[in-house]
Amino acid sequence: MSEREEREIDGSRRSFLKKTLGTCLTVGAATAATGCSDGNVSGGEGWLPEQYNIPGNYPVQVRGRIPIDRGNPSITRDDRKCILCGQCAEVCEKSEAVLFNYELPLKDDIPCIHCGQCTLWCPTAAITERDEKESVLHALENENLHVVVQTAPSTRVGLGEEFGLTIGINVESRQVAALKALGFDSVLDTNFAADLTIMEEANELVKRVVGQIKAPLPQFTSCCPGWVKFCEYFYPDLLENLSSAKSPMQMQGALIKTYYAKERNLDPQKIVSVAIMPCTAKKFEAARHEFNSSAYITGYENIRDVDYVLTTRELARLIKIKNIDFNNLPSASYDPLMSEYSGAGAIFGVTGGVMEAAVRTGYYMLTEQRPPDALFNLTPVRGLQGVKEAVLQIPNVGELRVAVVTGMANSREVLKRVRNGDAPWHFIEFMACYGGCISGGGQPRSALPPSDAVRAARINSLYTADEKSVKRLSHENDEILEMYKIYLGEPGGELAHKLLHTHYIDRSMHLTAKKALA
Amino acid sequence: MLNDISKQKWSFTITPVRLILIAISLAGFALIAYRLITGLGIVTNMNDEWPWGFWIAFDVMCGVALAGGGYATAFLIYVLRIDCLKPVARGAMLTSLIGYLLVAVGLLLDVGQWFNFWRPFVSWGHSSVLFEVFLCITAYTVVQILEFGEIFTERVGKKYHNFFKKIMPALIIIGIMIPTMHQASLGALYLMMDGKLYPLWWSPIIFLFFLMSSFFVGPAMVVVESSLASKAFGHKIETGVLKKLVRIGGWVMLAYLVIKVCDLIARGKIGYLTDGNIESYLFIAEIVIGIIIPLIICFSRLANNRAWLAVFGVLTNLGLIFNRLNVVVTGMARNAGSLYLPAISEVIISLSLVAIGALVYLFVCENFPVLGKETHKYAN
Amino acid sequence: MSKGVLVDLTKCIGCGSCYVACKLYNENKWSDKAPVNGKAAKLADENWTVVKEYNISRDNCNALRFVKKQCFHCEHPSCASACFTSALRKTEEGVIVYRSNLCVGCRYCMVACPFEIPKFEWGKAFPVVTKCMMCYFRVINNEKPSCVSVCPTQVMQYGDRDELLVEAKLRIDSNSAYIKHIYGENEAGGTNWLYLSDVPFAQLGFKTDISDKPAAAYTSRYMSLTPILGAAWGLVLTGIYFINKYRKKNAAEKQMKANDSEGGNNA
Repeated sequence: MSEREEREIDGSRRSFLKKTLGTCLTVGAATAATGCSDGNVSGGEGWLPEQYNIPGNYPVQVRGRIPIDRGNPSITRDDRKCILCGQCAEVCEKSEAVLFNYELPLKDDIPCIHCGQCTLWCPTAAITERDEKESVLHALENENLHVVVQTAPSTRVGLGEEFGLTIGINVESRQVAALKALGFDSVLDTNFAADLTIMEEANELVKRVVGQIKAPLPQFTSCCPGWVKFCEYFYPDLLENLSSAKSPMQMQGALIKTYYAKERNLDPQKIVSVAIMPCTAKKFEAARHEFNSSAYITGYENIRDVDYVLTTRELARLIKIKNIDFNNLPSASYDPLMSEYSGAGAIFGVTGGVMEAAVRTGYYMLTEQRPPDALFNLTPVRGLQGVKEAVLQIPNVGELRVAVVTGMANSREVLKRVRNGDAPWHFIEFMACYGGCISGGGQPRSALPPSDAVRAARINSLYTADEKSVKRLSHENDEILEMYKIYLGEPGGELAHKLLHTHYIDRSMHLTAKKALA
Repeated sequence: MLNDISKQKWSFTITPVRLILIAISLAGFALIAYRLITGLGIVTNMNDEWPWGFWIAFDVMCGVALAGGGYATAFLIYVLRIDCLKPVARGAMLTSLIGYLLVAVGLLLDVGQWFNFWRPFVSWGHSSVLFEVFLCITAYTVVQILEFGEIFTERVGKKYHNFFKKIMPALIIIGIMIPTMHQASLGALYLMMDGKLYPLWWSPIIFLFFLMSSFFVGPAMVVVESSLASKAFGHKIETGVLKKLVRIGGWVMLAYLVIKVCDLIARGKIGYLTDGNIESYLFIAEIVIGIIIPLIICFSRLANNRAWLAVFGVLTNLGLIFNRLNVVVTGMARNAGSLYLPAISEVIISLSLVAIGALVYLFVCENFPVLGKETHKYAN
Repeated sequence: MSKGVLVDLTKCIGCGSCYVACKLYNENKWSDKAPVNGKAAKLADENWTVVKEYNISRDNCNALRFVKKQCFHCEHPSCASACFTSALRKTEEGVIVYRSNLCVGCRYCMVACPFEIPKFEWGKAFPVVTKCMMCYFRVINNEKPSCVSVCPTQVMQYGDRDELLVEAKLRIDSNSAYIKHIYGENEAGGTNWLYLSDVPFAQLGFKTDISDKPAAAYTSRYMSLTPILGAAWGLVLTGIYFINKYRKKNAAEKQMKANDSEGGNNA
């Protein structure tokens, strides 16, 4: 053993203690620091992932939203813009009675009536119509195609708002000019088909009232595709009550590829039928499997009655994309053959408008007399109330009791009475959108959420158009009378039935309607 | 003798093979720079389904196992005192050191926050097997560098040579203990993949398989190395020595095979062998190529033939690479639900690491008394 | 007490409020590569929760079902036990949180997770792992996670895991429509997110072959034994080393004496 080692042993008690203590302290500190000692994590208490140490900008009020199927033909949503404010769910549930009006679990479908009210209520425009303007532009660029466009009654009192004009201003002639500037080969008016719808629907109503057709009363209007789908979902037992008449857009579409093609000597296969609508549900309607009546007449299996539906907002975007100075356009008028309209057709876009137009012509059909002045300003069915009623005295026939419903939530009580058999009415108008098509899901978002002031301005504009019209009765429309004479035969006739009437689909298997609502 | 070496000039002979290696290395460097700038998504084929790919399988799993030759030979020579193996000791331990350094580089390239590599030292994830692997690999690399200090100081910084010589026994014992632990732990990483790793490879004792295979691949590595070195440096190790080494590996290999079969039977998964799916074929191929054929060579008269011993070495090494790739890639494919093939850039980077390793090895062998030190002594 | 969420898949209408809330609260970007909804919905580095759509057949009818996916927050998390820097940890509320500044990016958590939840920022130069942290800051302030708070149909119920299990059992016992299984009760040793469904879980993309034994159990046993075994092995090695050394030395000395000659022995 060396000297050094001996020395170590000699004077080592203090150094030994020192070293032991030092080692213990080091090891102890290390175990504490790493969390080995108590099995806890290192870093101490109050530990947060660093991202949560920074205050975020998470909104205070978050309330969820509506479900939208990715395959929904009418509406779509940009998740990036959603702030979960819950407005869409609010309008869908409370105003349109769709969301949460079915039991969970879901069946094979996300119930949607495509009304598009959510697109009007969404404050960030996250929810919009499914944009089809590219397809229309594509068709317009194709020289070989004859692109026909029809414009709904309501778009003319909404479109101007997209260009900074007064709310509700009627821009009918400028709209026509813009469409012509966009390159549409022919601009037709859905108002024409609105008059036609009245001819068919009033005819059907009269036949139901006098018992010529075996179909229940009250008769329901069928021109609102949102309402039709609502009825198919929740009231399949009342589908018989729905008028078999198609909506004006589908009538116009079916005739464009048949009557119009024939009169203009056009190949129906080369016609592209576009519709400018205030409505997102019309996109769904145009895509409904059964709406290819023109295929039966022409024999071309793959053609559709209406190829594309653009909302008023999409049209505005189209005009802006093409750099058309909308506000300084010279006025232009619709192309003939399927564009003439009466004041009755013009008010189709207003809640109560279809009813007013129908009773005017219905009165004539029942009595063969010009209706009294009261029917030209049928105040009981005018206005923004959810449910309106009117009783009309018709000579030699008796009372005609009608009701007007706007907003699907308001329909529940009325439909409950119909279902229970204690409904006093003969005819009921239903519009999914509150205020009618003028406040449809495809109209400009001029007030958020849509306000009654905007609705009233647009409504007044359409009533003014009615008042200013020379003809205010659908059955006085010369182009229609001519068409019946040379092509369709008579209202409710065989060809009319093929082209202008439809059937409905029971969709109740796609959801479980809440029993409490039935 | 020491003086002789220190008077030598530094040299690095350029041969065509070395030129190719240099070219691969340079290509690798370029890709490594690209990977460091763009992240992992572009350079590699890894994705969320395949979080671990070729780099973990080859650079790390195979790298560590193949570099295991060092600890296996150290165990045989210094602990069991099988002196006749001494001629291969330094070579094996040098390969091992280079291997580990490359594994470290490979790992740094594979992880996302490579600048954070030191974190485990201060933030201990002591429940993680990977934590143990990390500590052991780091510690072992340090130990190996110190071990190499003995060789290094024969030429550079000679005054420290005696110090290194003195601490060698301790270093060697630590240098055997630590790798034993992490070789097993590399397998234990996959203990968690119950249900994810195909049952033919997953086992509750997968760590034992990793440990044993890393042990028997040591002799195989030495055999391959010595035949390569004998070509490059005209240095030969006696066939008898190699045979002895191979036999030791062979016994471990045999035990490995027996345990593996017993494990499959005990877990009731032996039927998976006859499933006729890609996994079963790969598993059988792995066992036949890497275990059964080498065993036949090892315990037959073929073992007296140098060439056959080299075949043993190559096959065992291939079998091990096969096994590790199977565990990391093939065995996980069914669970991932998608296929993974390494990107070309991934493979080039891995190859460039191997090339760099080979170049360093060649350089060291040329300039330091790695090979043949002991033979000189025996000759004396 | 572990906090958890009971997810009743029969109530989900697929509106996706939850993933929007997740994006808003955690300030995650919207991903172009990985959709958050639809049939291809995929968890990704920026998608901590997604709602995946399934069209399946139930009682010979087509059924539309949506499954919200996010971290299950295991009782015995594989990811946390796999993490060698403790970047992933289980808090006392049972939430598995992640601290990216500790992360090395080794992705062992991703390989270890039985549900394949942690995702990696493959497109970044210095990528980290990402996953749902159950809005931990809200949880410790006694608020529901953001996705739970926003659900319009109350698909999710937040509370103590034990109470949720009682509630879940009550529901599946009182309504025959439910599959008699609470996913997450035992899977991987139990998870804090529990699922109820009226459609077999296997049809909704749930892994049904997950062992009830938490994977972390294998490694914790291994890790507890390792230091002891390692130390013992070291001792054994030292023992053999010295035994052999002295045996050799003695043998050499004997030989030396016998030969009476010079020669070092430096074994």
